[in-house]
Amino acid sequence: MQSGPPIIGVSPAIVRVTDLINHVADTGLNIVISGETGVGKEVIAQNLYQKSPRKGKPFVKVNCAALPEGLLESELYGYERGAFTGAEQKKRGKFELANGGVLFLDEIGDMPILLQSKLLHVLQSGEFAPLGSEKEFKTDTWLIAATNHDLEDEIKKHKFREDLYYRLNIIKIYIPPLRERTEDIPHLINYYSQLYTSQFNNRNILQPSSRVLQKLSEYYWPGNVRELQNVLKRVLVLGSWDDIIDGFDYGYGSSNAVRQKTEQVQPPIPSSNNFLFQNGQAPDLESFSLKDIKKNALDKVEKEAISYILEKTGWNRSRASKILKISYKTLLYKISELGILPPTT
Amino acid sequence: MQKKYKILIIDDSEEILNTYKKFFIKKNYSVATASNGLDGLKILQTEPNDFDLIITDIVMPNISGVGIISIVKKKFPEILIIAITGWGEHPGMLASEAEADLVLEKPIDLMELDKRIIDLIQSKTI
Ligand SMILES: Nc1ncnc2c1ncn2[C@@H]1O[C@H](COP(=O)(O)OP(=O)(O)OP(=O)(O)O)[C@@H](O)[C@H]1O
Ligand SMILES: [Mg+2]
Repeated sequence: MQSGPPIIGVSPAIVRVTDLINHVADTGLNIVISGETGVGKEVIAQNLYQKSPRKGKPFVKVNCAALPEGLLESELYGYERGAFTGAEQKKRGKFELANGGVLFLDEIGDMPILLQSKLLHVLQSGEFAPLGSEKEFKTDTWLIAATNHDLEDEIKKHKFREDLYYRLNIIKIYIPPLRERTEDIPHLINYYSQLYTSQFNNRNILQPSSRVLQKLSEYYWPGNVRELQNVLKRVLVLGSWDDIIDGFDYGYGSSNAVRQKTEQVQPPIPSSNNFLFQNGQAPDLESFSLKDIKKNALDKVEKEAISYILEKTGWNRSRASKILKISYKTLLYKISELGILPPTT
Repeated sequence: MQKKYKILIIDDSEEILNTYKKFFIKKNYSVATASNGLDGLKILQTEPNDFDLIITDIVMPNISGVGIISIVKKKFPEILIIAITGWGEHPGMLASEAEADLVLEKPIDLMELDKRIIDLIQSKTI
């Protein structure tokens, strides 16, 4: 039976979250899933949906951070023809599309305050009106929200409405960062090694030695499981763990190290022989492939360029996307795909 | 002598749980406690027909009091619920919306709470 992407882990926190999912998936009550980037919030949302009676109905995701206010509003509620200049066709909103199913509001903490009021109204009344519509429509959607902000903090800063907070948080699911549940690391490695091995032409990931595992559990993992996935992919390309764990920044999380890092931002100078000789070591001829090297090199240059601009703009992602001349969406995708990590505070 | 009522108290404060528990045991109730909504729900599921009434806090980890009220009213409609709020009007209003049988604001006078419980249970059995 398909019941959502697997939630791998044996830590008490993960066992507890799985238990909680099993107890609330059939309730349809509003849920907020919180935790740092890459901890598995979307995986949890998918599991709730797949284990609910709404399985098979739509699962509609909206990223509240990816769109400016006006667009987000029409994305959520839709509009009538002629609602504003340019509205030549009627457009159905995500609330309508998610009817009977799940509306997953990702990054809810980034929703502009005016839209929060509108959302609150919808949750109170169970009805919404598309822009330019006289009529309100009934909606039966299960709202699951996710955030990597501390919403209670946002309330104090008047960036998040307290009444909306309580209405959403009927059920809270908090996923702790990976560094606080290091016993999950070997299980995640096992699962993803097998998955990637079949995807990457059956090239095997070396089982980490106990020294490597020790290092992995001392690392800060600011990008959590997503970062671990990226590390595994790199191990696959390089054929060894050593270079990777030696390259970890173990000072991450101590504010001093982060400050030093940001002060030393240098424009990226790609140097081609880096891509061939990792830490001065000649590549393994067994696993040599021009395609992989090209992809690896490209990723590396992109990552350096994007990191550089992000640090220059103080992680203002919309400014960074303009400078890089890529869409905001593409930037968000690249940040996650390339495992670019925000400085922790 | 009055029948021995069975109640479940859910609150994330150890101190409150202990105080309530001591008090209600002295008052001849049979008492179970849980420190969050999920544990409370699990107790209910293992002995669903046992409880006459639940006293629940509202703001708690995992399943909030409002969540407990909604779930219980759907799955165990026979059980009465008193919600206790200490956080201003929003959660209290949500508890009433979820159809708690009674919403009380902190601080709670336990003698008074005992009276309200007897009233609720008796008005239900009439
Ligand atoms: N417990 C887990 N078991 C297996 N895979 C996991 C687990 N947690 C996370 N992952 C995987 O890690 C990746 C990141 O997870 P996900 O997208 O759910 O994180 P997120 O919390 O939504 O991150 P963000 O805040 O950046 O959106 C996904 O590929 C997901 O499948
Ligand atoms: Mg996500």
